[in-house]
Amino acid sequence: MATSTYLSNPIVTVNSVDLSDQCTAATFTHRFDQLESTAFGDTARKYVAGLGNHEVTLSLYMSYAATETYATLASLVGTTTTVRVQPAAPPDSATNPGFVLTGAFLAELPVINATMGELSTVDVTFVGGTYSVDTTV
Amino acid sequence: MAYRIISPRIGTPGELWEPEVWVNVHALVKGGFIESTDTKPTPDKPAKAKVSKKAAPDATSAQE
Repeated sequence: MATSTYLSNPIVTVNSVDLSDQCTAATFTHRFDQLESTAFGDTARKYVAGLGNHEVTLSLYMSYAATETYATLASLVGTTTTVRVQPAAPPDSATNPGFVLTGAFLAELPVINATMGELSTVDVTFVGGTYSVDTTV
Repeated sequence: MAYRIISPRIGTPGELWEPEVWVNVHALVKGGFIESTDTKPTPDKPAKAKVSKKAAPDATSAQE
């Protein structure tokens, strides 16, 4: 049965900092620019892969306490770092791969996203970098 | 340069930590997650100038 239900197992690290307990959603997209290569004689459009254009989007509770969300992300804005998302706790395996984006750029950080009566959350997106998958310990 | 873990979000506090490639170490230090194991060198105190208790030869000769 092709389903994956995520409860509390995923591990999310940003710049080696484990933010799993602040993260509520993670979307890791492995993507390449699509370059059209259709030519005369073709009867359908054709494409080839261009540059890698991967990204990771995380939804995080915003906390300004020591060594929490803000302390982790504030100094990363405008720089590159490594983001890792794994479906469940280590060890790495073929059925529990660790998806890594190395050299990913954080362009912006919403420093406040406040709504009265609700926990503050922010969405951050890391773009670019090199995509890899860890399947062995 | 070696670093020591401060926050359990990185690992076990007190253990030495080696940064991986592309880890922004400056951000971790600034955020209080790790610290450098290098101790800051204490600034050298300037040597005190020796004060001679002997009277200058000129002064001695002047007294004579």
